[in-house]
Amino acid sequence: MSIEIRGIGKRFGNFVALEDISLHIPTGELVALLGPSGCGKTTLLRIIAGMETADVGQVLFAGEEAAHVHARDRKVGFVFQHYALFRHMSVFENVAFGLRVKARKVRPAEAEIRSRVTALLKLVQLDWLADRYPSQLSGGQRQRIALARALAVEPRVLLLDEPFGALDTRVRKELRRWLRRLHDEMQISSVFVTHDQEEALEVADRVVVMNQGRIEQIGSPDEVYSSPATPFVYQFLGNVNVFHSRVHGAWAEVAAERPEGGPESAVTAFVRPHDIEIEHHPLTGGLEATVQEVHAIGPWVRVELAHASELIEVELTRERATILALAEGQLVWLKPRQLRVFAAPGKTMEEGGSGI
Amino acid sequence: MAAWSSSCLTPASRRRILPGFGLSLACTLAYLSLLILLPLSGLAFRASDLGPVELWAIATGERALASYRVTFGASLLAATINAFFGLIVAWILVRYSFPGKRAIDALVDLPFALPTAVAGITLATLYADNGWIGRHLEPLGVKVAFTPFGIVVALTFIGLPFVVRTLQPVIEDIESEVEEAAASLGASRWQTFIRVLFPAIFPALLTGFTLAFSRSVGEYGSVIFIAGNMPLISEITPLLIISKLEQYDVVGATALAMVMLIISFVMLLAVNALQWWAANRHSGCSPSLGAHQ
Repeated sequence: MSIEIRGIGKRFGNFVALEDISLHIPTGELVALLGPSGCGKTTLLRIIAGMETADVGQVLFAGEEAAHVHARDRKVGFVFQHYALFRHMSVFENVAFGLRVKARKVRPAEAEIRSRVTALLKLVQLDWLADRYPSQLSGGQRQRIALARALAVEPRVLLLDEPFGALDTRVRKELRRWLRRLHDEMQISSVFVTHDQEEALEVADRVVVMNQGRIEQIGSPDEVYSSPATPFVYQFLGNVNVFHSRVHGAWAEVAAERPEGGPESAVTAFVRPHDIEIEHHPLTGGLEATVQEVHAIGPWVRVELAHASELIEVELTRERATILALAEGQLVWLKPRQLRVFAAPGKTMEEGGSGI
Repeated sequence: MAAWSSSCLTPASRRRILPGFGLSLACTLAYLSLLILLPLSGLAFRASDLGPVELWAIATGERALASYRVTFGASLLAATINAFFGLIVAWILVRYSFPGKRAIDALVDLPFALPTAVAGITLATLYADNGWIGRHLEPLGVKVAFTPFGIVVALTFIGLPFVVRTLQPVIEDIESEVEEAAASLGASRWQTFIRVLFPAIFPALLTGFTLAFSRSVGEYGSVIFIAGNMPLISEITPLLIISKLEQYDVVGATALAMVMLIISFVMLLAVNALQWWAANRHSGCSPSLGAHQ
């Protein structure tokens, strides 16, 4: 079922949680709402679920206005960050809950409930835990049960609020892939909230980047990463070096990108650490810098360089680092392979240096 | 969780890390013996002066039997009333914010703080035939003061804080997410309450009920003023014990006290077993899986 969000706004006292949010989620799509904490992404999800009401704007389910539909009648499956399982019920009863509370006329027979719950537990690969209680499960298992419980009522839309936020990295990665497969099997629309850019880029069909109650960019994971629409998106998705001033504007020209408003205006240039080339000899338009520190981190070698008072971060492959054989205090020249210039002194998260 | 971990201790994990266990355990045992066990055994010892036949005769006298009925019946009724209304009061105090909430919250403690005799006199004055409330009940044919009904009123008054104060922290602990989860699964408010919230509250409600009940069984001060103390009708066992003592019938008083002790003990044991069951049925031992968080 498609979800249409039109001009949603929400305030909590003086705090603007959401401002003029419009978004269309077609049937079968898996959308990630990505943003820093406090950006309004969870509020938006809760408005879609009917757990919060918007001050202005509309939510339409399959073209129908949903404002007056109570959360329990929206047929929305909701998965919470901290699972919100019913502690006093067994795993089986947790999953069966949605079926048992149906009105008698539409409630499936006991045998039917049994077989459906068992099928769902099999789907989440936890049928052997049916008689346990939530307190006896690990975090990853609890979240899978929470998902099975949400799916039991055959929701038209699945909403997940930071579903893997409380889990450790390894379990998180596993569940991510698993969620993707599950979504494809169930053929429903899913929206999940996350502050983890890697998670959003890996799992979602489309990523909605939010900041301070507004949508910054909507696009495929590749689009938002490789052509960010705003400085915020650039900084939020991955590490980035930020340069201000005219000098760097000239540097920008090296990479064959012309800042709008002419070379005289102040500009901000964004370069990803892995898009900078290091050479031992001077380059035309290259930036002179001193090597400060060299760390090998997994497959990458991260080099921190100083250019005047600014700190520049560069990531090299191990092979390249071996060839360069960088040493601390060495003078080198930098050249961007790719960079992005935003004309105005854009609203950046921090001044100079590297983001995140 | 606490119950879980204590019941799942393996021998290896019994090594104590906190120092001073021996000393503090000795202190605790000595204190409890002095305070509770010694007087109770003294009571049993005293009662053993009587032969079993005599003891039985005193304990099952007509007046005694009637007084048990009044005491335990009124206590049970009062505790039940408190369990119901106390739940509502606690729920409102936790879940909603409204003007005067703090004042009402403080008011709940009043029966704790008020000397019981003051409570008894106040209630008796209010519910007497010419009292503020009694005056309006009289034409309806409802007599409160100087009847067993009056005892229930007094016991309800003194028992309320036990239920409310026991429930409040437990209700505060319930995450709103659990309710939202139930709603998103299609449950109505009523279904959410019955199937999700009540089972979470129930063990605490049972505790509050037990506390209120135990307090009521032993209550003396507030009851005697409103009860009228008519033998066979509105005479509570504690009063019967006092009147026996006043007649220097120490042995008779001891016999009744023994009966009170035994009944109270059995009832507490039963409620505790029920509580233990309610608290533990949802957590078993599975050391291999453990709790993740």
